[in-house]
Amino acid sequence: MTILRAAPVALLLALLAFAVLGPITNMLIWSVAETWYFPAKLPQSYGFSFWERVFRPQGNAMVSLWNSVVIALFTVLASMVVAVPAGLALGRGRLPWRSFFLLLFLLPQAFPSIAVHMNIARIFYGLGLNGTYVGVVLVHTIQGLVFSVWIATAAFAAVNRELEEAAANMGASPFTVFRTVTLPLALPGLMASAIFVFLISLDEFTGTFFVGVPDITTLPLLLFTASMEGNYQIASITALILLIPSVGFMLFIERFLKSDVLAKIGS
Amino acid sequence: MLTRKTSLILTAPAMALLGLLFLLPLGYSLVWAFRDEELGGWGLQNFIKAFGLYSRDILFTLIIVTLSTVIIGVLSIAISGYLTLGENRVAQAALRWMYRWPLFIPFVVAAQLMRTFLAKNGMMNNIIVSTGLMDQMHAVSYLDWRGIIITFVWKQTPFVALLLAGAMSSLDRSTIEAARNLGAHRFRILLEILVPQAATTLMVGLILSYVVMMSVLSVPLMINAQSPTMITVDMAWRINAYSDYGVANALGFISYAMTAVIAWIYLRQGVREGRRPA
Amino acid sequence: MTHKTANLFASAAVALFAAGAAPAEGVLNVVSGGSQNMVDYVTDYLGPLFEERNPGWKVNVVGTGPGNAGSQAILEKIKAQAGNDKWDTDVVVMTQLKTGEMVTEGLLQKYVDDIETGKLATRDTARTALGTDVEGFVMPMFHSQTAIAYNPDVVANPPASLDELKTWTAENKGAFGYNGIKNGMSGVAFTAAWMYAYAGNTEQLINGPYDPALKNGWDQALADLKAFNENVTFTPGNAGTLDMMNRGEIVMGPVWVDMFYTWQADGRLNPNLKLLLPEPGMPGQPYYYAIPAKAEDADAARSFIALATSPEVQAEGIVKRFNWYPGIDAEHLEGSLESEVWDKLFTDVTPEELAAKGKPFPLGPYFDDMREAYELKVTN
Repeated sequence: MTILRAAPVALLLALLAFAVLGPITNMLIWSVAETWYFPAKLPQSYGFSFWERVFRPQGNAMVSLWNSVVIALFTVLASMVVAVPAGLALGRGRLPWRSFFLLLFLLPQAFPSIAVHMNIARIFYGLGLNGTYVGVVLVHTIQGLVFSVWIATAAFAAVNRELEEAAANMGASPFTVFRTVTLPLALPGLMASAIFVFLISLDEFTGTFFVGVPDITTLPLLLFTASMEGNYQIASITALILLIPSVGFMLFIERFLKSDVLAKIGS
Repeated sequence: MLTRKTSLILTAPAMALLGLLFLLPLGYSLVWAFRDEELGGWGLQNFIKAFGLYSRDILFTLIIVTLSTVIIGVLSIAISGYLTLGENRVAQAALRWMYRWPLFIPFVVAAQLMRTFLAKNGMMNNIIVSTGLMDQMHAVSYLDWRGIIITFVWKQTPFVALLLAGAMSSLDRSTIEAARNLGAHRFRILLEILVPQAATTLMVGLILSYVVMMSVLSVPLMINAQSPTMITVDMAWRINAYSDYGVANALGFISYAMTAVIAWIYLRQGVREGRRPA
Repeated sequence: MTHKTANLFASAAVALFAAGAAPAEGVLNVVSGGSQNMVDYVTDYLGPLFEERNPGWKVNVVGTGPGNAGSQAILEKIKAQAGNDKWDTDVVVMTQLKTGEMVTEGLLQKYVDDIETGKLATRDTARTALGTDVEGFVMPMFHSQTAIAYNPDVVANPPASLDELKTWTAENKGAFGYNGIKNGMSGVAFTAAWMYAYAGNTEQLINGPYDPALKNGWDQALADLKAFNENVTFTPGNAGTLDMMNRGEIVMGPVWVDMFYTWQADGRLNPNLKLLLPEPGMPGQPYYYAIPAKAEDADAARSFIALATSPEVQAEGIVKRFNWYPGIDAEHLEGSLESEVWDKLFTDVTPEELAAKGKPFPLGPYFDDMREAYELKVTN
């Protein structure tokens, strides 16, 4: 009986593993492949020469990685500062033209990014923001704004109103209700949006070029050129390097979520 | 809970940021979509040209993105459903460990990986052939519309599933337990209790995925060798080959319209039902 | 927020402002379109060499990616700061099309007469870029050429002309692959080669004058190309063609010679694969060094380019290390190169062939007409 029930689950999991991990295995193999061409099904020789190329001292990979991570952290911070209040108002408040506002935030994704970034750069050159971290963080924040605002709005909209009313009836001030009931319940969504914003910032290329270069270089600027032209080894290594801060950030957020939120909900 | 004034104040920073850093710069370039170079005035010439040259691509984009969104929806409901309701702890842990990895791979790299994975002599076919389930003669390349959909689904399903699993886990467990005690099947609990309650999050996740897929250039560029292709490729082509921002921005308008219509329908729907969707 | 998190942000904030300080004097900012190889060339070879010869200077290089897309980004970034007195980019490396546009828009400065190597590049492409007069504004970094790559193990007698290629693809359906026109310049180059062969008026297509009526005579050539396309495999991009050769899915296709050698050097292509230039020829183009009109360190930029185009550096860096065709005239390199290095560069395509069959891309307006005609009559 248990075997009969476990078998389809195991089969589905195996299929999913093939679909998810297959391409990732491909990536792992390419990152250490030195020669791999037809008709070989696996690399003819392995080695770390491409890793050496990426991490050679004059390549500045470590500085760029550090830049990328710092910029991503501040982008998350900036996005949360603007998106949480906006999400609260759009999810719970009384706003005229609410749908219109939400639709506006979808705009940054739709248009050719080079045209928009060129104009952002023009404004930033005028303000002296080009080549500064603040400028790059602002550009990344804009890219992430659709995610942070929409997800925050959904998170606040989904909070059960009865729980808030119960707290208010017990004499809690509106801010206390927000801090002890609304925010903790919306937090899983906010955390998820923080992760997405972090990833968007970490992978951003065009905006960083227009606003950061030549003073600020991030890892995508250093390595995406190689990825775009089909250097599979460098592409794979880039993804593996970026995996470290991404997964690290997610685990950090999840631990934070477990300890802090659950404690608050329990109290 | 919030007055109209407070609401406006709370949205002000986000709107200011969007307005100054996005709408203003966008405005500069957007006007070019309505510029008629030949007449030297304003007009819809760029839109006529965009439709004339790329109507097949516009339709293709719509179909690809819609189809991908539907598949992502189904898969993410299945994954987050199993994470919430699954009874086999080992399988749950395995799934939880596994499903998120594609989220962390940048689109550029994902497209490259899929190119070597899905090709005729790519890794996927090689594995299937070596297990004896198929012989080499029947290997086909998936580097066409199917490849785009596969890559989109691979990359975006974890995004929606992560949001949805989060939303489902914060739902009230008591209704689920009650239904379970009444002997309801897990599928029914998932579809009739969990999904409706987490619908807002699901829809937001899907709309955001839809938007992302509409805007990705690297995937169609690196995977799809055929024509028709996606609008983003045409936009890049107009700019890089002809420095033609007019038609490129007209295509941007069309791309935004396709997104906004979907989002609008969703937002209206919620209002009519008396809910407050995202 | 916990204390730990707060500390993390605080230390990051310190790093942020410390690193955001103004750059030290003597930084030469180079922005390069083109492949990663071209960026690595400056990072690993040319940059350190310049720093060694000019103590106190540091070379900072950023790559924007291959094709016109990469160069378009450079053009836009320069345009964005047009209102400023000093521009933050000192040297740009760009494609012909976009360099021509920059010259037309007044974004570059003349410098070639001021450097001692200025007289060493005399090919047509050093003076005109797709019909735009760029004389004095550019020095070629290297010349790149498209050619047909093929696998000699599978194709013993490769087609020597486009006519033979037509017959060959009809007999070997799907074995020839190219990337159309929207997806990278090697496919565009093949299309241009096709038009040179079958549309007539080749000389006029390359050298002008422009006649808008000429495109009306292309219908037959385009219809033939459409029929030819029935027998080929389409590849996703310049890299896509090489990629399909990597897995043996196609055995022949148009590629950039420099990319081809890179893929071989990086172990992604069978070292046995060969190149050929079919009759009546295929286009190539140089990448240009240029200096933005208001570059902050224009003097340093001039000496950087002078170094980069000196016979010694062209021989050692461009030909020997990277297997590229030199940007300056080949005769100036003879003293600086061992003959085997030279021969290696011309293993598959001889210098005579290159001279006879290496063509420029068509004149700008014809080029536009050609691409649009392909979109209308071949793709649709």
